[in-house]
Amino acid sequence: MQFTIPILHSAVTIMTPLLLASMGGLFTELTGMLNIALEGLLLMGAFSSVICSHYTGSMVVGTLLGIACTMGLSAILAVVTLNLKSNVFITGLAVNLLSAGLTVVLCFSLFGNKGVVVFDNIPSLPLLGTPSLARIPILGDIFIGHSAFVYLSWLLLGICYYTLYGTPFGFRFRATGLHQEALSALGLSPNRYKFFAFLISGFTCGLGGAMLTLNLGAFVPNITAGKGWIALVIIFLGNKKPLGLLLAALVFGLADAFSNYAQGALQVPSDFILALPYLLTLLAMVGSSIYAKKKGAIES
Amino acid sequence: MAREKKLARKTIRTFVREGAAILLILTIALVWVIILSLLLSKTPAKTLGYFFLGPLQNTYYFGNMLNGSIPLIFGGLGVSLAMRSGNFNLGGEGQIYSGALVTTLCAISLAPLGIVGAFLALVLGALVAGALAGVSGFLRMQWNTSELITSFLLSNAVVLVVNHLISGPFLDPSTSLMATRKIPEAFRLPLLLPPSNLSMALPIAILAVVVVQLYLYKTKSGYELRMTGLNPFFAKYGGIDTRRYMVLPMVLSGALYGLGGGLAIYGTYYASIKEFSSGMGWNGLAVALIAKSKPTAVIPAALFFAYIEAGARSAMLHSDVTFEIAAIVQSIVFFLISSEVLLNLFTKRGKQ
Amino acid sequence: MELAVEMLAITKTYPENNIRANEAVDLQLRKGEILCLAGENGAGKTTLMKVLYGMESQDSGTISIHGRKESITSPLVAKGLGIGMVHQHFMLVEEFTVAQNVLLGIEPVRFGISYDQKKANALVNEVIARHHFSLEAGTLVKDLTVGQKQQVEIVKMLYRDADILILDEPTAVLTEQEIEALFTTLRQLANHGKSLILITHKLHEIKAISDRVAVMRQGRMVGIYETTRMDERNISALMMGKTISLEIAHAEKPQKSLPVIVFDKVTVVRRGQERPLLNNLSFTAYSGEILGFAGVGGNGLGVVEAVLGGFIPTVGGRILHHESEITNMNTAQLRKQGLAYVPSDRLRIGSAAKATVEENIMVNASHMFTRQGFIDKKKSASFTERLLASYKAKATAQMPINTLSGGNIQKVILAREIEQYQDYIVFSEPTWGLDVASSQFVYEQMAELRDKGAAVILISSNLDEILTVADRIIVLYHGYRVASFAGKEARNLSKEEIGEYMLGIRRQGTLHG
Repeated sequence: MQFTIPILHSAVTIMTPLLLASMGGLFTELTGMLNIALEGLLLMGAFSSVICSHYTGSMVVGTLLGIACTMGLSAILAVVTLNLKSNVFITGLAVNLLSAGLTVVLCFSLFGNKGVVVFDNIPSLPLLGTPSLARIPILGDIFIGHSAFVYLSWLLLGICYYTLYGTPFGFRFRATGLHQEALSALGLSPNRYKFFAFLISGFTCGLGGAMLTLNLGAFVPNITAGKGWIALVIIFLGNKKPLGLLLAALVFGLADAFSNYAQGALQVPSDFILALPYLLTLLAMVGSSIYAKKKGAIES
Repeated sequence: MAREKKLARKTIRTFVREGAAILLILTIALVWVIILSLLLSKTPAKTLGYFFLGPLQNTYYFGNMLNGSIPLIFGGLGVSLAMRSGNFNLGGEGQIYSGALVTTLCAISLAPLGIVGAFLALVLGALVAGALAGVSGFLRMQWNTSELITSFLLSNAVVLVVNHLISGPFLDPSTSLMATRKIPEAFRLPLLLPPSNLSMALPIAILAVVVVQLYLYKTKSGYELRMTGLNPFFAKYGGIDTRRYMVLPMVLSGALYGLGGGLAIYGTYYASIKEFSSGMGWNGLAVALIAKSKPTAVIPAALFFAYIEAGARSAMLHSDVTFEIAAIVQSIVFFLISSEVLLNLFTKRGKQ
Repeated sequence: MELAVEMLAITKTYPENNIRANEAVDLQLRKGEILCLAGENGAGKTTLMKVLYGMESQDSGTISIHGRKESITSPLVAKGLGIGMVHQHFMLVEEFTVAQNVLLGIEPVRFGISYDQKKANALVNEVIARHHFSLEAGTLVKDLTVGQKQQVEIVKMLYRDADILILDEPTAVLTEQEIEALFTTLRQLANHGKSLILITHKLHEIKAISDRVAVMRQGRMVGIYETTRMDERNISALMMGKTISLEIAHAEKPQKSLPVIVFDKVTVVRRGQERPLLNNLSFTAYSGEILGFAGVGGNGLGVVEAVLGGFIPTVGGRILHHESEITNMNTAQLRKQGLAYVPSDRLRIGSAAKATVEENIMVNASHMFTRQGFIDKKKSASFTERLLASYKAKATAQMPINTLSGGNIQKVILAREIEQYQDYIVFSEPTWGLDVASSQFVYEQMAELRDKGAAVILISSNLDEILTVADRIIVLYHGYRVASFAGKEARNLSKEEIGEYMLGIRRQGTLHG
């Protein structure tokens, strides 16, 4: 089993952007909106943080600016969806299309290149962990020695849980999705909480996207490759609960890490490996809907 | 009857107002072309000239633009049909691509059958694409799995599988392209406007619009499909088999996409080239949204999108911007096209 | 006398359909009184209250609260002025506790940020105790009865120091006992100086609770009267404009009665719920009679409708149509068996709002116009026109059905269903929300069907309707058949007596179908 631990270790890395994106998506989902823009927001986060890191020479500043850009995009999404009363699904598609187009257009005009752009001045992400902790058998090997993004995502998950279940803010978020008229009848504005939810999505997707590109020190067109969609599925599989997200994200992280391993070791065509997350997601969706139907009450 | 005349006039008025709102949205999108050119191009005037006038410059570009609208018409029809029944087909990318590949491969092996073979190959391509979409319909019927998400996921996986098939088992070693072998000469559709690549597929696409229009409004099945889309509870109550209309429209929708893919092979590409159809599925969706799922409105909507694509391509060839600005313009359309505020802009003013 | 609210010359037109809902309406609410706002459906009561509560803005007219002119632009402004409204549909988050619902938006916090659960419960329990409600702040709202949920709504307003309370048809969903408890509470509130407006059209409740009654008709205020000086007949006359008594001849001697629909010990259970929705229900609907089902909402009427319509499965028992078994057939199969059915929910189930009248009419008849899959438009259009004419529906074939009035939509549905009936027909809440003339039309149609030999099944929570029309009556309580009345017995039944069965106070010993 010598390959198990590296797979688990890399699963923890792989699941982090998924976990981050799904956390933001959880807020939009709880306010009653199917946010398919996670994919585009992640891509925007990935692009803008690596570019900003490149120009400012600081990964921290770059990441912060990247998050700001992504939140800007999510604010546009929010205004168009809420104030212009558009279908959130269609505007989400617009964000995905815009990110895909804009990142390539900007790459082309900034670097004259539509393919992979490597940034030599960006060092690889420092890995955290004290040697004494890393020496803990198995757990140390798996959970220690990741970049700051990984530990930040766990911290954010805790904050996310506390916000939703322990603060007045969280109650209003959840009330928005559960019964938004109840909120507006009390003079509170559901749209306000939906707006915040979009901004939070922008924040976590900006962070998650930053991890994707800063890990590589490069931008690859469509680097997200469906991760935003998988984040959406994680929300459903995680039963819209913060801890559920963690478990579901771990499942996808493992699947991805295993398929990376399989690609090298088992000589499966790479296209099939790339297709695997989509098919697994599909199976998970079908599985959860069969479960929901079995469990659910009889409806007319 | 005076009352009916009044109603007719009212209908025309709403039609004009809705049309005005959509024109406004399309104009906003085109204004963005100007803004982007000013921002990104060193020679914005030249870029804009090529963008807006390039597609109309000569028969070659004009014909190519018309040709570009063909898969959009099929895709737009496919999505419209699904949306009319209350289903969402987001799998256009995979359906077009797989339909094209199946048609290509069947055309090659059915070459001895002549015209019958050509026809069969098209049908088989459409069937496979239809079955693909039908899976999502079936999943929804059986377990209420969201067809919107499953069709997207399935399509993403299928695109990758088709990529593998084209660049692996079915690769034509005699060319440097990532492509399959070419279909027999006899199967290729005649060109209408040489030297452009506009082919006989255009009249077939227009025929498809007519057929879908007739199906929706003149047949019992089309009626049942529309009622299911307007109010599924009502349809079920009225005795319509609503489960059928979770699957059938998806199959038809996928088949139209597949047919679009197959005809793109017969009319333009002659072989399945890796990722040749990339983006066509999404644009089909956009076309259906602009057309508000009305089959007859699909044609102008498809022309608009083809125009933007042709303009972007022309600007890319002759100036210093890249083709992806088309995607940005399209995203502007997506941002605004479902806005209730914008669509009712003129209706409300008319009331007072 | 001090006025809590004074509305003067309020006019409101809805731009979507150009309906003038309020025309120069005046209303005065005195401090500490209970005022009933009465009127038929569509008289403009709810619109007037929405204007007062800031949910709609008036085109013209002024509102004064406690003598000061105010411009109430949103519910938030209304709340600031001490106005609270209990809506007909509860605005409660079922998954939250009573306290969490009451305090939504004004939550107590600890450490400046954390939701203080303990304090929340204490604060709300205090208000509950002060007004003697039967509630506990920590209970989840989904575990409450309907009456308790309404109390939560009232607590919500009281907690926010509302002294002008608007209640929109507060008794519609309550049992008799719950209504009594509510009225006691409302009376106490008035004695504490709160001013209350109740929207209602139930005459005996107006008499029972109000100090004054304001009557509206067709968007105008007819007048405001001291309740003690009015009787139910006066109020009714003012509401309707003229007195009409709905009369339908009963089938004196049913001709040759044949069993058409037979329920044999039918049981329906919703998964995850212990109490069956229907419990061993047996009955027979005979030809040439109107069989009425009575009951309070939530006691099985809707379930009988859904089973007859093929919308929910049964877990036990059999259903027969003549000799053939139709248990658990879906609606499409039942339609082929001869089902004709006027559903209670005309907008969600009975019609497709955006489809034309013709498309709505042909849903159960499209086979009549279809040749080789194609629809003969000429035939379907002339069919539609004929139906519209013979049922006197003010509509044309190509209008979208959502441009019609409620009464005309119901006529279209009646026309469609009656035209296709074979030997039985189900009516569920057929006159809900209709005016008197339209209701009379519906009753006449039902009587005519009965006289032609149809088995007519009427499901209605409107007791007057059941007593007026039905030849035989079955009362449902908690999914059980608790009483049945036939012939003379049914005709001489008093409302009070049948009401006791509906509320589960009485039940008949042995029951035969």
